[in-house]
Amino acid sequence: MSNAPHILVIDDEPQILRAIRTILTEKQFRVTTASRGEEGLALVAANEPDLVILDLGLPDMDGAEVCQRLREWTQTPIIILSVRDSERDKVAALDMGADDYLTKPFGIEELLARVRVALRHSSRMQGTQSKVVNAGTITIDLAFHNVKRGDKEVKLTGREYKLLAYLASNHGRVLTHQSILTHVWGPEDADHTEYLRVYMRQLRKKLEDDPERPQYILTEPGIGYRFIADE
Amino acid sequence: MNSVNMQNSSVLSRLWQYLLAFLLIAVITMIFFLARDVLDTTLIALLYLIPLGMITAFLGLGPGLTSALITFLAFNYFFIQPYYTFTVHQPADVAILMVFLIVAVVISQLVGRAQAGLVAATAREREATQLYELSTAFAGLPNDHAIVQILAKQVYAVAEGEYVELNVKGAHPFAYRLPEVEPPLRSPELIIPIEAARGVLGEIRLWRAAPVISPTEKRLFQTFTSQGALALERAWLAQAESRARVLEESDQLKSAILSSVSHELRTPLSTIKAAASSLRGKQVSWDSPARTELIAAIDDEADHLNMLVGNLLDMSRIESGALKPKREWNILPEIIGSVLARMKHLAEEHQIKVDVPESLPLLPVDYVQMEQVFTNLVSNSLKYAPANSVVCIRAQVEDESIHVQVSNQGPQVPPQDLKRIFDKFYRITAADKVTGTGLGLSICKGIIEAHGGNIWAENIPDGLAFHFRLPLTWDGAQPPQLPMDTEAE
Repeated sequence: MSNAPHILVIDDEPQILRAIRTILTEKQFRVTTASRGEEGLALVAANEPDLVILDLGLPDMDGAEVCQRLREWTQTPIIILSVRDSERDKVAALDMGADDYLTKPFGIEELLARVRVALRHSSRMQGTQSKVVNAGTITIDLAFHNVKRGDKEVKLTGREYKLLAYLASNHGRVLTHQSILTHVWGPEDADHTEYLRVYMRQLRKKLEDDPERPQYILTEPGIGYRFIADE
Repeated sequence: MNSVNMQNSSVLSRLWQYLLAFLLIAVITMIFFLARDVLDTTLIALLYLIPLGMITAFLGLGPGLTSALITFLAFNYFFIQPYYTFTVHQPADVAILMVFLIVAVVISQLVGRAQAGLVAATAREREATQLYELSTAFAGLPNDHAIVQILAKQVYAVAEGEYVELNVKGAHPFAYRLPEVEPPLRSPELIIPIEAARGVLGEIRLWRAAPVISPTEKRLFQTFTSQGALALERAWLAQAESRARVLEESDQLKSAILSSVSHELRTPLSTIKAAASSLRGKQVSWDSPARTELIAAIDDEADHLNMLVGNLLDMSRIESGALKPKREWNILPEIIGSVLARMKHLAEEHQIKVDVPESLPLLPVDYVQMEQVFTNLVSNSLKYAPANSVVCIRAQVEDESIHVQVSNQGPQVPPQDLKRIFDKFYRITAADKVTGTGLGLSICKGIIEAHGGNIWAENIPDGLAFHFRLPLTWDGAQPPQLPMDTEAE
């Protein structure tokens, strides 16, 4: 199984390491573990894993710093682990280059889904990007700038389309407020989360079956948004 | 400068007194001189006692004695033969001089004593008034800073001070200065210790023009400081008492948390332990439906434990005042939507209706905290309301605020308990009947109040409604205008 994706888990709690290793090994991944930030950085350099799972509460280093130091030389996807109520840290790590996050305690489906999305995203970065994203009855054709719900075309304004296209091309991944605003509006508007609130509401009204209970455009409280597409 | 003027003026007024006495004697002498032929010498001597007495009574001993001497000389010169000489021939004339002098001295003594008595009485009255004012001002002052401020002001006013500094020792030493500038460079003229039964509490340092302290002032300052010391001690005792009460209350809170937590933690833990050990012990066969059941129980109870820990953290943050909303302009339907999406599996037995107008303005709230409020209110409703009943979320703008209502068709709450359901660990139902921490509603209250709003509950005809109201503005800021986005873009 030398082709199996190699995952490095950096966490200082042995029970968590044990649980994640057991589960991921069971799912045919190769797993390496580290309990300190420096050790983790060294292992990434030595083994070049396909994915890093990084706990934000390490004893020797700040999680955001680990992300930053990794991003200086590698694009290996990083999934961060942290506890509830640390939105600020999560956002800092995500803006520093982490790809996604999981809040402890997490379910195993959630962990596997994040791992799948992160691996798929990194392989897409190297290969060709899929041009059509499907989510339920919604079809987004990124090449032809065309959005359909069922058979009917959905009329979107330029900004709405740009927003949806950014979400859809990163489907499955969390996108922070800042990254969406910078990408869709420009760096000078990176603080205007109210733009996002209003535009997301408009998009949901045009795309969701029940805008009051969204299924595709999900809010990640205090962090950002996530677009859920079909696998 | 001032005092020099005052000294000048007092010398001047004393000169005037002597001049006035002299003038009076001169006028009287002139009148008597004109009537010299009619009046008997003895009568004149007797009549001289009248101005003499008046001068002594009104102008004091010095002018009185001087007048007695002048009167005698005038009497001798003008009325005793031989006229216009100062020669004394008869011993009776010496007796008259003696009488004049004695009368002047006696009257001045009497009047002086009476005046001194009056001055003392006035001073005592003023002292009493000042003391009364001081003790009234101190009464009910719980704050040592306020007490010190009043004491300094009184001393400043009474001592006609130029600068007063009041240093207080103790657990939290501080100083109060009047006026509030740096003290003069020279050392203070007066240092008065503030003493209480337990020792010296501090001192008053007084700078003023007159360095000498009169016994009256000394007594007054001592009374002031002892009053001040008493007030300070009382304030400190009251503070200590309230601290003790807070400690006692937080102690009670802790034991309430412990008892609630140990109960609440054990329930899911027992389930998890039982399920996990039976799965491990192979009592349950691999294909038994009980297996799925047990695994689901472990999963659910772990979530429950997680929620419990989260609630405790939230509560401790609210208690310590660390809950600071991270305000951003948010859309209420989005918050409600993401709460309902997350609670979908919990709300399977109920119907949740959302009635929120599209025209609602952006709200300056913390997204995560408001999610918590809706989660707690909705889950509370789901927990108590019967299956298949309706939970309704409404919102509308009223004046300068938004009014949100979460109503359910669950049991009503006795009117006297409507306020208390927002208290920590307060439950109407016995703890073993319904799971939860007894913290959900008090967390809502903490969050809403941190946002500058208020929350209350109300019995409605078919159930219970939670209401809360939040301001639409944030530090006076109005909802932002969004840039226009047109189809043509």
